Amino acid sequence: MSTPVLEIRSLTKFFPVRAGVFMRKVGNVHAVDDVSLKVHRGETLGLVGESGCGKSTLGRVILNLLRPTRGQVFFEGRDLSELSRPEWHAVRRDMQIIFQDPMESLNARHTVGLILEEPFVIHKMGTPIERRGWVQDLLERVGLPKDSVSRFPHEFSGGQRQRIGIARAIALEPKLIICDEAVSALDVSVQAQIINLLLKLQREMDLALLFIAHDLSVVRHVSDRVAVMYLGQIVEQALSREIYERPGHPYTRALVSAIPTPDPDLHRERIVLEGDVPSPITPPSGCRFHTRCAYAIDRCRQEPPRTETMSTSHELTCHRWRELPAPTV
Amino acid sequence: MAESILTVRDLSCGFHTEEGFTRVVDGMSYELHAGTTLGLVGESGCGKTVSALAVMGLLPRPAGVIEHGEILLKGELISDSTKQALEAVRGRRIGMIFQEPMTALNPVHRVGKQLLETIEIYQPELDKAARQARTIELLEQVGIPAPEQRLKEYPHQLSGGMRQRVMIAMALSGNPEVLIADEPTTALDVTIQAQILELLTELQRSHGMAIIFITHDLGVVAQICDEVLVMYAGRIAERTSAKQLFRTPHHPYTQGLIHSIPRLDTPLKTPLPTIEGVVPPLNALPPGCRFSNRCRHADKRCDAEVPELDRCQPNHEVACHHWRRVAE
Repeated sequence: MSTPVLEIRSLTKFFPVRAGVFMRKVGNVHAVDDVSLKVHRGETLGLVGESGCGKSTLGRVILNLLRPTRGQVFFEGRDLSELSRPEWHAVRRDMQIIFQDPMESLNARHTVGLILEEPFVIHKMGTPIERRGWVQDLLERVGLPKDSVSRFPHEFSGGQRQRIGIARAIALEPKLIICDEAVSALDVSVQAQIINLLLKLQREMDLALLFIAHDLSVVRHVSDRVAVMYLGQIVEQALSREIYERPGHPYTRALVSAIPTPDPDLHRERIVLEGDVPSPITPPSGCRFHTRCAYAIDRCRQEPPRTETMSTSHELTCHRWRELPAPTV
Repeated sequence: MAESILTVRDLSCGFHTEEGFTRVVDGMSYELHAGTTLGLVGESGCGKTVSALAVMGLLPRPAGVIEHGEILLKGELISDSTKQALEAVRGRRIGMIFQEPMTALNPVHRVGKQLLETIEIYQPELDKAARQARTIELLEQVGIPAPEQRLKEYPHQLSGGMRQRVMIAMALSGNPEVLIADEPTTALDVTIQAQILELLTELQRSHGMAIIFITHDLGVVAQICDEVLVMYAGRIAERTSAKQLFRTPHHPYTQGLIHSIPRLDTPLKTPLPTIEGVVPPLNALPPGCRFSNRCRHADKRCDAEVPELDRCQPNHEVACHHWRRVAE
């Protein structure tokens, strides 16, 4: 197989917890703990998990918006931690991010024309006239009217603003886009439009997408593969269809069974998990899921499970996956 | 059909703004039956929350006003009650929970104190010890482990799901006949959402409450609602049972909504059906059908004439001139 666009190995990010008068370090938030992933050209890797599981932190560490505590990020085979500043500057063009709320990530005082021209200015590309032409092309590709250049972000609806965010992300023809809850704040009818746009751009540009979201039906639809995260760790990773039809990990099973489906005639067995996600400052010993797992035994409380291969490209981290009853999905 | 607990007739309400009056809800009528759950569905700004606030008498004054319409609780008119009369209804006979419990709870008071306060108002006859016992009983009812401990905590010490349980406990403290739940699970994770939905269903069974469930998530509607009202730009587009709504949606908007959600059996990475365009702004609504600019069935009649709710099947009403053609 070709070199993945993005590969991360044992990536770890701890945030120190400080307390007391002298703000001494009293612990760590284990936001991302020993995560390894690959994303290939033209492929979407969906990353799901509940709030606080570390999925957004992971996205930020990949882009070096946060420094990793341990582990490596490879972009097209190159270790990002070994790049010089100019080299990093060049690589940064190929990796972009789209956030949940475009209103917060777009400068409210800049016109859309200025916002979309900025990436070219930063990377010293083209003359002003050329750049104006490129901005027009971008608007057309994301389905915004041509006169948008002279308007401000607040004049647009949520869906249109997300289109502006997407236009900015694709401006420099990147190879990888991280979508951090990019469609979560949108109403369903608009959400479908944005999903279609992302799928279209991915086909046109052979883009690799890391699609971070908590809506499992949306993730299933856009992803080739899905990784499930719990308390900073990946607990299961497989082809999209596999994850939803044959979930192996008890946590994935509960997640999949809890998806509300718009079909009142479909009576699925719902697994309702007890309790809340434990604190990432003092994650449970052994398997981190054991406090909420119906199948936990003593071994799960003591010994952290290793990642095992269930079938080709289906990996999971559970001591007991072989013994569990077949999933009822 | 069970008796109607809450009846809303021809409710119109809106807000005075600098640019004049904006009507947010226009001619809404419905009945909520005992022991059932009515879903109010629609996208942001369609008027679902505002209509519920009007029922509760909670429209922000002086900007928000009920233009006309009647709200009856067990046949008794409450929409033009005096402030005192409304106090006897609000919170006591109709309870309400909101999307973000953190903003509804007071951050500087302990959970127990806030619960005690509501019990003091709703059940003044209880003495101190009985009130204390009642707070613990309520927290147990909503499935909070170690309630004595939780009472001493502040809202920020609780997780989102726990906070929502505390809100539900407060809403239950008046033994309401109707519970209005405004997007109660939208801010929660799927596994916590499943817990809260299960809790609400259980409480409905044990307390016999009728629930108005406001949401934009059709999956949740399918899971817990008996009847559904689909709203679009301030008007009811379709009203029927949850089963019929998903089996035979008649309004082009409802059809569009249902089809645009990725399902667990949609082919992967294929384009989703969409509703093109956006909702018209409330201060510039078209004279005819409000959905006409996004509807592929629209014709001249839709541009000129507002469609009224029309019965298309028993217990199924739709506000579309062309429902016969659309349904095919």
